[in-house]
Amino acid sequence: MSTLYLDRPSPLNRLNPITKLVGVVSIIILVFALPYWWAPLAILILVVVPAALLARVGGRLLVVSGVLLVPLMIVIIVAQGFFNPRGETILFSLGSFNFSLEGLLFALAVGGRTVVLVTATMVLLFTTHPGKLLNALSKNGMPPKIAYVISSTLQIIPSFRTRADSILLAQRSRGLKTGGNPFRRFAVLIPLLSPLILGVFVDVDERSTAMEARAFGSTAKRTALEVLPDPLVEHIARWAVIIVALVALALSFIGALPQVSWPL
Amino acid sequence: MTDIDKPVDPNRTRNNIFIIAGTVVVVATYLYLIIAQPAAVGDGVASGGTPALITLAGYLLGAILIAFGAINRLPTTTVVLVPVAIAINIVVGQITSALGLPLYLDSIGTILVAVVAGPAAGAVTGGLSNVIWGLTLSPLALPFAIVAIVIGFVAGWAARIGVFRSYWAPPIAGIVTGIIAALASSPISAFIFGGATGGGTGAIVAAFQAFGNSLLASTTLQGLLSDPLDKLITFTVVMFILLALPTRFKQRFPFVRQYNVLPGMKKKATPAA
Repeated sequence: MSTLYLDRPSPLNRLNPITKLVGVVSIIILVFALPYWWAPLAILILVVVPAALLARVGGRLLVVSGVLLVPLMIVIIVAQGFFNPRGETILFSLGSFNFSLEGLLFALAVGGRTVVLVTATMVLLFTTHPGKLLNALSKNGMPPKIAYVISSTLQIIPSFRTRADSILLAQRSRGLKTGGNPFRRFAVLIPLLSPLILGVFVDVDERSTAMEARAFGSTAKRTALEVLPDPLVEHIARWAVIIVALVALALSFIGALPQVSWPL
Repeated sequence: MTDIDKPVDPNRTRNNIFIIAGTVVVVATYLYLIIAQPAAVGDGVASGGTPALITLAGYLLGAILIAFGAINRLPTTTVVLVPVAIAINIVVGQITSALGLPLYLDSIGTILVAVVAGPAAGAVTGGLSNVIWGLTLSPLALPFAIVAIVIGFVAGWAARIGVFRSYWAPPIAGIVTGIIAALASSPISAFIFGGATGGGTGAIVAAFQAFGNSLLASTTLQGLLSDPLDKLITFTVVMFILLALPTRFKQRFPFVRQYNVLPGMKKKATPAA
């Protein structure tokens, strides 16, 4: 299955996956910790967008995240603008509904956080091969079985989808109607699902015997075939960003951050 | 039991500690959000995103701990089943939306594995399904991993107490699972995403807010509107799939043999330990 990974050589692409992951986590902590409505916007413009441009994935990021986030932002701005219970300063009215400034700022803060969460994660996924990410995580304590399940699923899905398509075609050639009202369309699922699921379950048995014969269940410490570079600079950078994020979080938690107009 | 059926688990205590710790973190997070009801995001009042961060951190940490602990307890025969089940979740979920049905049906694989291999397997399948959704389609699925874990876990226990032995109980168990899923996911939608997790659901949340409900109440109501129906249908579909499975195949699973969970099976007088 196609993951979001794009094979474009860039400095970001060459970073250790753990460094990028720590970076994304720190960014997410930061946007949620800072109690200002403009904080997500600032981090998006100052950190996420430059990183995407550096990795040469800017256009792709715009398209993929846009499809996901634009409807979401519209809904949240409309909903909060009109219905936020704190709304006092009225910007404009539509019939008996008032669009408030407080609602708009709330929508920008909460929506902005979602935007940063999604775009920062996407930059990580665009620039990191899933195999490398899983490899790095496994070396840092993630059970190898999780790496197996994730990479195996990514390989199974395309063949699985092909099988589903051919079953659907086969059933149609026998006269199965796939259009019509929702109940009829739902009825299509049953003659599709049973052969599909029976088919894939059959070869599961042999695979488990083969894997067990190759010490899959062993809990001994494994060595990696591909060793990922992890220079000291990246170690320092990781600690630096995580400390910045935690300091911001601590200050926000004790309420020590300076108040500005329109705090949220 | 053949050798590969046995859970190879020299770290049983450690894994149990992981699962218990994860559960405690998740339950504590949930209770804090529901009982303390941090007014902050829920009603758009002051303070930063601290409740959002607590939600995100608590649920993700809990999900990771539970997944780590649970997957190490699974025998190889079950682990190889998980990728297949996740593929079922994703492909059927996509077919459902392609057919234009107003449902998700994205947990058929999770429920199926939970019934034939138990709560731990169901939890792992659910959690990793959301990780795969997050990696391939939309990172928005990642914070909801704990909900999928809960769904798999509840379905596994439903099977263990014999829900799938009868023909009338699975739909009811589906409704109950749906209600639990709605309650578990509403703080995530409300505190992290401000009620907007998608175009359609976001509009429904806005409609509930327009009637004067708080954000948390609105996301809960939206979940209760869609999740129980979706899980009712999912559980029913799974029951039909189980009926169609060949007997030889059904008997392969230790969990099935131990608890006699499948349709038409009788409860054992003294369950083999």
